[in-house]
Amino acid sequence: MLRTYCLPLILSIGLILIGKPGISQPLLSINGTVKDASSGEVLIGASMFLLENAQKITLTNAYGFFSITATPGNYRLVAMFAGYKTDTLSVNLQGNQSLIIKLQPMGRELAEVVVSTRKKNEQVIRPLMGVQKLSVKEMNNVPVIFGEKDVLKTIQLLPGVKSAGEGNSGFYVRGGGADQNLILLDEATVYNASHLLGFFSSFNSDAIKDLTLYKGAMPAEYGGRLASVVDVKMIDGNNQSFHASGGIGLISSRLNLEGPLVKDKSSFMLSGRRTYADVFLGLSRDSSIRDNSLYFYDFNAKANYILNKKNRLFLSGYFGRDKLGFGKTFGIDYGNSTATLRWNHIFNGRLFLNNSLIYSNYNYNIEIKSGVNNIIIKSKIEDLAIKTDFQYFINNDNKINFGTQITRHLLSPGIVDASANSSFNSLTLPVKKALEAAAYFNHEYAPNANLRINYGIRLTSFSLLGPGNFNTYDSASNILQTITKTDNSAVKTYFNPEPRFSASWLLNPLSSVKASYTRNVQNLHLLSNSAAINPTDIWIPSSLQVKPEIADQVAVGYYANDKQFAFDFFVEAYYKWMQNQVDYKNGAQLRANENVESQLLFGTGRAYGLEWFLKKKTGKLTGWISYTLARTERSVPGINNGNWYPARQDQTHNIAIVGIYQTNSRWTISANWVYNTGNAVTFPSGKYRLNGQNVYYYTERNGYRFPDYHRLDLAATLKNKPKPGREGSWTFSLYNVYGRENTYSIEFKDDPNNPGKTIAEQTALFKWVPSITYNFKF
Amino acid sequence: MKPLPYYFNPTSNRLRISFALFIFLLMGLWGCRKVIDVNLNDAAPQLVVEGNIYNAPGPYSIQLSKTINYSSLNEFPPVIGAAVFVKDITDGVTDTLQESSAGKYITKKIQGLSGHSYQLQIGTGGQTYSAYTTLPAPVPFDSVSFEKIARPGGKVDWYAVINYKDPAGENNYYLFTLWVNGRKINNTFAFDDRLSDGRYVSRTLRTDSAYIQQGDSVMVTMNHMGKEGYQYYSSFTQATGNGALQSVSPANPVSNLSNKALGYFLAGAIQTRKSVAK
Repeated sequence: MLRTYCLPLILSIGLILIGKPGISQPLLSINGTVKDASSGEVLIGASMFLLENAQKITLTNAYGFFSITATPGNYRLVAMFAGYKTDTLSVNLQGNQSLIIKLQPMGRELAEVVVSTRKKNEQVIRPLMGVQKLSVKEMNNVPVIFGEKDVLKTIQLLPGVKSAGEGNSGFYVRGGGADQNLILLDEATVYNASHLLGFFSSFNSDAIKDLTLYKGAMPAEYGGRLASVVDVKMIDGNNQSFHASGGIGLISSRLNLEGPLVKDKSSFMLSGRRTYADVFLGLSRDSSIRDNSLYFYDFNAKANYILNKKNRLFLSGYFGRDKLGFGKTFGIDYGNSTATLRWNHIFNGRLFLNNSLIYSNYNYNIEIKSGVNNIIIKSKIEDLAIKTDFQYFINNDNKINFGTQITRHLLSPGIVDASANSSFNSLTLPVKKALEAAAYFNHEYAPNANLRINYGIRLTSFSLLGPGNFNTYDSASNILQTITKTDNSAVKTYFNPEPRFSASWLLNPLSSVKASYTRNVQNLHLLSNSAAINPTDIWIPSSLQVKPEIADQVAVGYYANDKQFAFDFFVEAYYKWMQNQVDYKNGAQLRANENVESQLLFGTGRAYGLEWFLKKKTGKLTGWISYTLARTERSVPGINNGNWYPARQDQTHNIAIVGIYQTNSRWTISANWVYNTGNAVTFPSGKYRLNGQNVYYYTERNGYRFPDYHRLDLAATLKNKPKPGREGSWTFSLYNVYGRENTYSIEFKDDPNNPGKTIAEQTALFKWVPSITYNFKF
Repeated sequence: MKPLPYYFNPTSNRLRISFALFIFLLMGLWGCRKVIDVNLNDAAPQLVVEGNIYNAPGPYSIQLSKTINYSSLNEFPPVIGAAVFVKDITDGVTDTLQESSAGKYITKKIQGLSGHSYQLQIGTGGQTYSAYTTLPAPVPFDSVSFEKIARPGGKVDWYAVINYKDPAGENNYYLFTLWVNGRKINNTFAFDDRLSDGRYVSRTLRTDSAYIQQGDSVMVTMNHMGKEGYQYYSSFTQATGNGALQSVSPANPVSNLSNKALGYFLAGAIQTRKSVAK
């Protein structure tokens, strides 16, 4: 089952491809960790190079580790990271050297000190495509609804990413579904990354260090979803001194504590937030108001311990919960919890190992009380995973990543617990057990100064396990065949190779072209009839009836920097084919249905588009312009007569403009403007009368559009006068400045003033939303 | 299980809107509704069939009409001069229906009997359409009672509750229709017994707004139907969202008619119970 036998095989293939380095002098390693000098946080993605060999830039990995190889001699090692002062160290290399490099944050200085003629232009050089990184620092100034900084809302301003709706943290990437995004928090899958029906994301920005978005062309290390990976990393906690920070807003308040456990060796971070709109409910004398509840809270916690130069431990966790209740009649609570235990080990200067033990749980409970009916519905999805990742820095032109991951999924789709005299029978749907194993190998290779190649393969095996009865169904939803299996015996195993390839060709030092091909496979499928991910959505595994979803994406792109490195520019084109896409029959019974798979339809999808992105990184005015021209369609036998139709997330044009202006005084002003084509929706083309009611007649799926969407948001942040050891700032923001009534839904109904006519009534969610937040740090 | 009403259904758009409303009532802000112009395509007229057979003496009627364009006035053209036949498959009796008024076709000899299956055949405009339905045995409908739910602001809403014993070990499908002071409420209550087989069922008929006041006379009909009836009405509810906002991808209800005709031909065992809200 474990498929680890693949690993030696692919490793040896990789080693053959690398061949002999062909060198005469011994190669030594300069390696180490790059940290923030004031907090001790490791810096992810810092550029490292030797001034004597400035062509070869290495980036620090997710744990701040880097490794550069060189022949013996004297070198100047340069460490660069956005927002930090560049550091240059003299290295007299006679044996392998291990360093800890501490970079000073730049504070309010605006111009970057130029120390070298080679400046960072990773986006031009690196072969990976469709990757975008956002630091929380970058996100802090982008205006968002309710004044709540939200990483999942900010990535919606990037090309290829579409919002799931007004004020919603849900998103779609390159025409994929909402369930086709793999959202990771310190490597643990977050199944429902939203609070309060999507108005907030699960990620408290105080606790987050870094976010990387891979739009389909992910390295072989990642797998399991078709459209994207959103890799979110929590901060480790300051290991130099204790700090508290937080914020007080209209909707929620936050508090973040971090500090050293043993200075320079270990640190902790604790972060929590809670909404308090419901506190006002409790003040009411009216019990029908007082008994309602509506809130969420979440906690992030992390601790790490540096055992010695070669070993480091991390323990991180997340716990979030939403609670909604309407009087004594209805209540739902739901949330994620994740835990990750990691051990970093540096074998020698060139081989880095991370081991992770990962737990993830999403569950919901619904309680309904109506007359004699007292019903509790419970559902849960639980993952336990072991992951091993090696990074082998062979030399400056060759780097190999390889590893394995084994995940056990437990999906409990529903337990209905009904009271004795209720109208319903208690029911427990069988728990689905699945084992997912993957081995991957990835080689980053620079054959010459202009060409860089990143190729790899991910081999995945997904086994649905017993015990239980497993069915196949015919098109009329009848059971065709039933297979009975004992505990832990495989019902069906799907084995899929997922090749990944990308290459960049440097046209000149400032521009490059890239091409990539990626295959992704998804074995967990979401059944949902809503725009975004909902608390009660159902996840099902691949089975006898449900085949793995497969996507093949090809992309080409052009990347450029200007001479001053003030601007990043790229344009990417992609085409994606999708197989075994899940939809469901008209009138499907998805809830509490043991035979839910009989309600499904399977089809194909295609998505293609062009993405432009221009970012200004330096100066008083920073920001970006993003434009996406795209199309995404589905073809499902049984829907729309089997003809291609636009997917709900199809959006022809999508423009986002973000500007942040740092004044000379304590004010920072920011604005964003978004414009996009309206959602593809199904409207009636006709009507008829039946049973004394007017009924609408639909002829095509998603054949119509909502009106175009556009909106301007503004924010202004005023920093308090600087005081030693204390920082404070006020943020004022206005969402939807010009009060555009953007369509949230359209309802067709009889005209109350003219019963012979039918009218379309649109609902807009928000007109203006002002907010004010106070943030502090000491 | 029937889709929950919006306030019980965390997936509903309406709940999202209610939540937004809730926050913005606190903040004194709220988005808005307005009537907009939509430019909708025309659709080729399609046959619409409304046909019921009950466990009560006939005659029964089959009404035929056509769809019209969305932008047209609500005048639905009847289909006249069609050849309409209903066959009792169990007895082998075929009835040729007579057009009593424009688009309304009346049976002459067919009787609705429990356990019998019926077939409808229609010929019109060079096309033929057919449907098949079965009339199940009636399930005793015990009574209508009431549930009172306090609403914010001190107001109490009344809802009708239906009470019956579901027969165990068989699939049963029900459609309930609510009347308040003689006025039919346009909510569809289609239940199956997938999760309540053999139970004594007391279920509240949740309407999209509170129609029942204290002292009102309330009437509920139980229509015990075959699976085809439940498929039609439950998909009708999903498509229309029970009068609330529509689902993401609304579609035509699942019909038992062939050849893409809209509507239904359904047999059902009907019982009626009345009660006064007090």
